Order: sequence, then structure tokens, then C-alpha cells
Amino acid sequence: MKIKLFAATAVLALGLAACGGETPAPEMPAPEASAAEAPAPEPAPAMASIGETPADPVAFMKTRHDNYEDLGKNFKVLLDNSKLGTPDMAAVSAAAAKVNEYAGQMGTWFPPGTGPEAGKTEAKANIWTERADFDAKLANFQAEAGKLVTATGTDAAAFKAQFGPTGGTCKACHDTYREEDKDK
Amino acid sequence: MTDETVAPASPAPTPNQKVWDAPVRLVHWLLVFLVALSWWTAEEGDMQLHYWSGLTIVGLLVFRVYWGFAGPETARFSRFVKGPGAVLSYASKLFKPDYRASFGHNPLGALSVVAILLALIAQVGLGLFASDTDGLESGPLSPYVSYEFAKDAGDLHEDAFNILLILIGLHIAAIVFYLVIKRINLIGPMITGSRKAESVEGPASGIAPVPLWRFLIGVALAALVVFLIVWVPTTR
Repeated sequence: MKIKLFAATAVLALGLAACGGETPAPEMPAPEASAAEAPAPEPAPAMASIGETPADPVAFMKTRHDNYEDLGKNFKVLLDNSKLGTPDMAAVSAAAAKVNEYAGQMGTWFPPGTGPEAGKTEAKANIWTERADFDAKLANFQAEAGKLVTATGTDAAAFKAQFGPTGGTCKACHDTYREEDKDK
Repeated sequence: MTDETVAPASPAPTPNQKVWDAPVRLVHWLLVFLVALSWWTAEEGDMQLHYWSGLTIVGLLVFRVYWGFAGPETARFSRFVKGPGAVLSYASKLFKPDYRASFGHNPLGALSVVAILLALIAQVGLGLFASDTDGLESGPLSPYVSYEFAKDAGDLHEDAFNILLILIGLHIAAIVFYLVIKRINLIGPMITGSRKAESVEGPASGIAPVPLWRFLIGVALAALVVFLIVWVPTTR
């Protein structure tokens, strides 16, 4: 299956390399503004407040996973636009607002009993044993997400300048508290 | 006395056969270096360097595919890509006393060349569209595809690298086989371009030179493709 896909990609890629860069422009889909509007997974419906183990930890963790994926989706809108000469500021503002919204909720996403002991997750156990540091890193993200909202409301240059620092706070937490490559 | 007669000052040197031109050798060794660099930067998370390493590979592949049509004899696909009959015939002669080393890629080795080229093309093709799950890092063409597509391309980009590693492993194993079992050094000619013209196929003088303008067109083509990949997405 993977081999077949691989071969198909190879042929596709060969075509791409062979006809060079002349083709890209016309048939490319419109900019990914739709990602932000796409029906997002329910923003944390059954999230318990920090401290209580949810009644159904597996469902809770699934929602958490979907929320992170939607966060990634919104971040890709920001990333794509950060590379443009003239970013789509409406799309960027919507995505930044969504990121900020998730950032605000994230403190409630890791109650006890929702770590690797409870099921499949990339969340590492040290989230719960080094909670103070985890919370400090989360606070950094929340601060930078807030600045991103302000920046996207200002102008393209402000947005581009703030994109890196905000992304950096995501990474800072992932480096310590997220397992590599388990979500395929 | 006998010493003087058997050891003349200069024995007639074995003529050298030129088998690989400079562009083929340069592309080969740059690919070795850049595939290693791409691997290392991916493991270290240095995505900025990974990005440029991959784009340079794109340029090299564009050039090499072009050179497969415009380069000297031993670089041309039409010259070395053979059907299953030729491959089997070559393999059956491998251990016969009248075995003669091929001029350029042998029919079996050609399969390896094509497989590695296709794997590299697929690898960079996926990388161009890939994005990580966080939407923090992405290839230059990733803005043209959805988050889901980019994420799948990224996962596949990571998995498919294993196929490339297997092919490279086979390639190295074959070189060791020729060196140890067949006593044929394939590494030297890939560095110097020439081999001793003893019991080999092809013209004794080797490949004919290719006009410089053909090489320059290839370089320009490769640079243009890389430039467009980087530049066009910023103008959407």
C-alpha cells in the first residue's frame, strides 16, 4: 500500500520535475483560507477542570487530540500566509483568534488520568510530574498567542514578526512534553 | 641482471578509458553529501538547513534527468536502461571467465540507478508539499495543499526515506561485491572519471566530450526550477 502510494508519488514528482516550474501557477487551488472556517472539532466539550479525572478518559483524550490537530490546521494557515508577500489578513486574523482560543483552554486539557497510562497519546508522563514547568511554558504560549492576535489586527509586518515567537512557544513545550512520532 | 630485463624503466602504461564525465561525478558526490546532510538535519530538527539541502537536491535531480538525455554516452538513460533480457543475460555472465566489465552502468546496476533516482524524486517531491503536524514547518509548495494532505505528505516523506536507505544499502553492497569478489574497483572511476581499459567493453578512449553549452543549459534549467519553486509560492 505504502509502496504503491510511493510509486504513484514518484511518477507524479517525475512529471513535476520534468515539466519544470512553468506549470504551477494556473491550476493551483485558492489560498488555504478555508482551513480556519472548516468545521472545527467541538472545542473541548467535555473538558473537566484541572484536577478531576474525566469520566471517559479515552474520549477526553480523543477530543484533545482533535483539538491539537485543529490547532495545527489553523497554524498552517498562519505559516502559509507568513511566506506570502501580501498575506490574507482576514484568514490570518481568524486563525490567530482560534489559536488564542485554544491557548486559553489548554490549561484544562491535561487533568490527571489522561496521560500515557490511560491510552494512546503523545502526551508524556512528565506533564503531570513537572506540572509547574509545564504551566509556565503554557503561560508563555498564551502570552505569545495573545500578542499574535494583536499583531494580526495590526498589519502584515507585525504578523510576520510575531509568527516566529509564537511558534517557538509551541515547540518549547513539544520538545519536553510530547512523544515523537506516535500519531501516524 | 635478470632484474634489469624484467623491470624496464617504464612499462607501456595501460590506457585509461574515460567512463564518467565531471558533471555525473559531481552530481553523484553532491547527492551523497546532501542526502547525508538532509538526514542529519531532519534528525536534529534543523529545518532551515534541511529545506535548502532538499532544494539543492531538487536542482541536482533536474540536472541529472536532463543530463540523461543531453549528456555523454554513459550518462544517457537510452544507453544504460535495458530490458529484463539484458539484465538476466548480464547476471548469467557475471561469473563466467569471459566476463567483461560494462562501459558505464551495467544492465543490473542500471536498475539501481533508476530506482535511486525515482526514490530521490519521490522523496523531494513529498518534501516540497510536506508540513509537520503543528503547522510550524513546511516545504515551499505546502501552501498549495490542505493541512491533511501536507501532514500525510510529511509522514510519507519520513517513512519513504527508509526505502531510500535500503536502496543505498544495496548500492553499497554491490560496490563491495565488485571490489571483493570481482576485484573491480568502481569507486576510483567515480572519483577520477577513468578506469584501466583492460578487458572492458566500449571504445578504448571512452566517452566523447560534450559541448559546454549543453552543460550550461542544464545548470540554468536546474537553477530555474529551484528558483520558481521558492519564488512562485510567495506571489500568490
